[in-house]
Amino acid sequence: MTKTISRRDFLKLGAAASAALVVGQMLPPLVAQAAREAGHLNAAGDGYIPSMCEMCVWRCGLIAKVKDGRVVKLDGNPEHPHSRGKLCPRGQSGLMNTYDPDRVLNPLIRVGKRGEGLFRKASWDEALDLVAGKMTDIKEKYGPEAMVFSSTHNLSQVQFENLLYAFGSPNYGTQRSLCFNAMITAFSLTYGVEEPSRKYDDVEFILMVGRNMMEAISTSETSELSHAIDRGAKLVYLDPRYTKTASKATEWIPIRPGTDSAFLLAMINVIVSNELADCEFVKQYVVGCDGIQDEMRRYTPEWADQITGVPAATIERIAREYAAAKHNALAHPGWRTSNFINSFQTERAIATLNALSGNVLTPGGCLTAEVSAEGAGLGIPHQPPYPRISAPRLDGVPWKYPLVPLKLGVFQELRDAILTGEPYQAHGWFISRQNPVMSLPDRTKTLEAFGKMDFIATVDIILNDTAWFSDVILPEASYLERYDPLLPVGDKAFLRQPVIEPQGEARSALWIYKQLGERLGLGDYFQYEDEEDYIRQQLKPLGVSLEEVKEKGYAEMPEEDKNGEITFNTPSGKIEVYSETLKNAGFSPWPTWEEPPIPGKNEFYLLTGKVAQHTQFGTQNNPLLHKYSDEPRLWMNAKTASKLGLSNDDWVEITSQVGAAHSKLLATEAIRPDCVYLTPGYGHLSKGLKTAYGIGASDSALHVTYTDPISGGQALSQTFVTVKKA
Amino acid sequence: MTEIKHKAFLFDATRCIDCRACMVACSVENNIPMDKTRIWVAGVGIKGEFPNLDRASMVYHCMHCEHPGCLSACPVGAYTQREDGPVIYNPDVCIGCRYCMNACPFGVPHFDYDKGIVDGAFIDKCTFCPQRIDNGQQPACVATCPTDALEYGERDELLKKAHERIAAHPNRYVNHVYGEFENGGTSYLILSHVPFSELGLPNLPETPVNAVSEAAIGLTLPVALGWGAALTAVTAGVHLYNRKKEEVATVESTTEEVGI
Repeated sequence: MTKTISRRDFLKLGAAASAALVVGQMLPPLVAQAAREAGHLNAAGDGYIPSMCEMCVWRCGLIAKVKDGRVVKLDGNPEHPHSRGKLCPRGQSGLMNTYDPDRVLNPLIRVGKRGEGLFRKASWDEALDLVAGKMTDIKEKYGPEAMVFSSTHNLSQVQFENLLYAFGSPNYGTQRSLCFNAMITAFSLTYGVEEPSRKYDDVEFILMVGRNMMEAISTSETSELSHAIDRGAKLVYLDPRYTKTASKATEWIPIRPGTDSAFLLAMINVIVSNELADCEFVKQYVVGCDGIQDEMRRYTPEWADQITGVPAATIERIAREYAAAKHNALAHPGWRTSNFINSFQTERAIATLNALSGNVLTPGGCLTAEVSAEGAGLGIPHQPPYPRISAPRLDGVPWKYPLVPLKLGVFQELRDAILTGEPYQAHGWFISRQNPVMSLPDRTKTLEAFGKMDFIATVDIILNDTAWFSDVILPEASYLERYDPLLPVGDKAFLRQPVIEPQGEARSALWIYKQLGERLGLGDYFQYEDEEDYIRQQLKPLGVSLEEVKEKGYAEMPEEDKNGEITFNTPSGKIEVYSETLKNAGFSPWPTWEEPPIPGKNEFYLLTGKVAQHTQFGTQNNPLLHKYSDEPRLWMNAKTASKLGLSNDDWVEITSQVGAAHSKLLATEAIRPDCVYLTPGYGHLSKGLKTAYGIGASDSALHVTYTDPISGGQALSQTFVTVKKA
Repeated sequence: MTEIKHKAFLFDATRCIDCRACMVACSVENNIPMDKTRIWVAGVGIKGEFPNLDRASMVYHCMHCEHPGCLSACPVGAYTQREDGPVIYNPDVCIGCRYCMNACPFGVPHFDYDKGIVDGAFIDKCTFCPQRIDNGQQPACVATCPTDALEYGERDELLKKAHERIAAHPNRYVNHVYGEFENGGTSYLILSHVPFSELGLPNLPETPVNAVSEAAIGLTLPVALGWGAALTAVTAGVHLYNRKKEEVATVESTTEEVGI
């Protein structure tokens, strides 16, 4: 294993924690007192408190073991449908996210040049006044649209968005276009639902297109998939890399990158031209059944064979097996589906395969496309309407990307607008719990865009790379130290509640946004006294007390009315395999083949992916995850490496159109000869991340910005690189 | 008097996704220093040639043998075996002689060579989480396993379950439960889709190591008595000296990185 933090660091950490305890004792120990009242802790302050994980966005229920004011162990909450008593390695390591020796525990104000990492500690009053003052200056001088806001999926995001809309800026960057835009836009257009849920109880045949479920772990779903395989369900898995999911699959198909949709279209061809689907049944609910045979005629297995490198007979056989499983077949929608500029078409083909199997339509089928609005049934604070926004968005939605939903956006396109000043110049950037320096493609461009900013403020719990380049850092309480708004899952609304006091001066996002809102003259938009009051207002329609929810960890929700009719939230009310909306926007109304670019001579596809121990770019500094992760490396097919005169553990230079990076090489049989894969999440620039700094390379330094014109997704596997000995 | 049933683990290599949740959970539950571990990954990893590949890996910790060689070899009684099976190690009694390391056929007990005996280094290994199992919980590694590759229960029951699984899927598993008889039986039972040697497991006879070693020790004791007394006096002196120092130290071990 690679180096880990030393014993001395451990002692240092202990000392820091006891210092925090001394401070805590001067204040009323609110968390402990509340936990005692809820019956979680005994008189000595020891016991178990239910809350929710935040090491990824799956949000498992957890039970925190607390002793002497410290959290000492996390277990999965058996009552939570996302964890069912289990936690993944990230969830298990969660307390070292809270006790990371690199936590930022005071507001910081930059004193050196941007990127030098010189900051001074400040009081909350000074830091908040400074941020609000700068934002007000920018608003008065250039209009509210000159402030860019960006944040990644989290439970307090609703109040982040509240701040953004109240401030009046249209410029909102989320991680979504770097992640699941292709899936969400395709399924929204086809089924009227963003992400259909999967059911594995009776599944017989599962098709996964790069959904690396055994490494990109979603605890309950990973468990369900594993049990389905154990029962004997067939898993066909498409991936250019032999991932751990590939090793569990019945059949692994190392398809050529960018050609998934050709494979899927040929499957559809086999099913419709041989009439393997129950068309009479499906027809009642699907728009496009009539023309699909003609439309798919050209996509024969032989045609797909030439493109994908998968034998026609294999495609034909898999299509027939899929069709034979009927509504117990599942073509998994995937998750991070931002791979190529044709990824939207891949997702449309997946949506179509599901429609043909009848799995959405048949009771007990493997896919559910029920619409349930997030937070429906919960109360919200009353507040005035938002100001009208007239400025266009800098990311081109919808004027350049007509079909991308506003809340998804096209984050990677923001920077060109910032650098060119067209259609107008942005001047400030407010970032919460997000690390665009690492997550956006073409890191050089991101840092150039930062250079155009008069002011950058970041909310985070550690000095992530974006915070490192910021002017002010506002320290957030970790997920074990704070409340967030309730999360409805099925028939329950789950609570994230603090299990220990916030360390140092760290405060919750709900508190930070409200404080900032008040200083910006937007206090009317933050109609809650504190975090508990916010949750009480959420609970009001349920008639449940906060005390009861704190004790149980959740509130029961009333059952939704289901009238039994099958309708879809699309213009026709049916599943739209043929989409007028797409046609009207100038795109193909059918799932269709779009040829992606291919690497030139001596170039490789640069693949990205996931490891089970990390979430994107946010967890590499967690000492426990660092301890149990493999050393990050560049994977290359062993025979290719040997032809290039490269061996295992050689240092190599990887070069793309926009940058270069150095990495150690892993020569392995587990990848196609025309691909390389870089362990994701590493190559941090912030020296404030003492565990992670200096380890691995960042693919954001290499990724070229390519945007799928329909979904706005960044094509993360479309960057081609050369590799040579460093 | 009712017989006390032995507790055990069942590990199924076909289910393990090598996510290492068990390793992190153990590390937190037992407050293991950042450079130590009590669970390892073993096995050959990826095997075959592109695109005909397979993967062979497993996680393992102390096997909690029915007839623990470590316990027999320990000259000071630092090891004990609970009535329900777990083999417990007591660092307060350990003199750091490392006999147990030689006696264990699985290479489980680890010693902190950075420190050495004078600095108060001890052996370390899995304890079966008595603080959890006595509290009605599963051991930390089992409780969190997302795919149920690790299970916990009574040894008899788990053996039955393992054989049922083999019978239900004869083409999936090697027709053997490793640990049922090896070394006289272990409490870490293993099911695999590849030969056990590919998981890094030794091919052991059914006769436990300590059956042989105890006989040998019986003969050599009178001979060694003089030497033994002298050595024990020295070691005990060092040990007493160490006991005065409060610092707790743990063993060195490394996680073997599996080919990925």
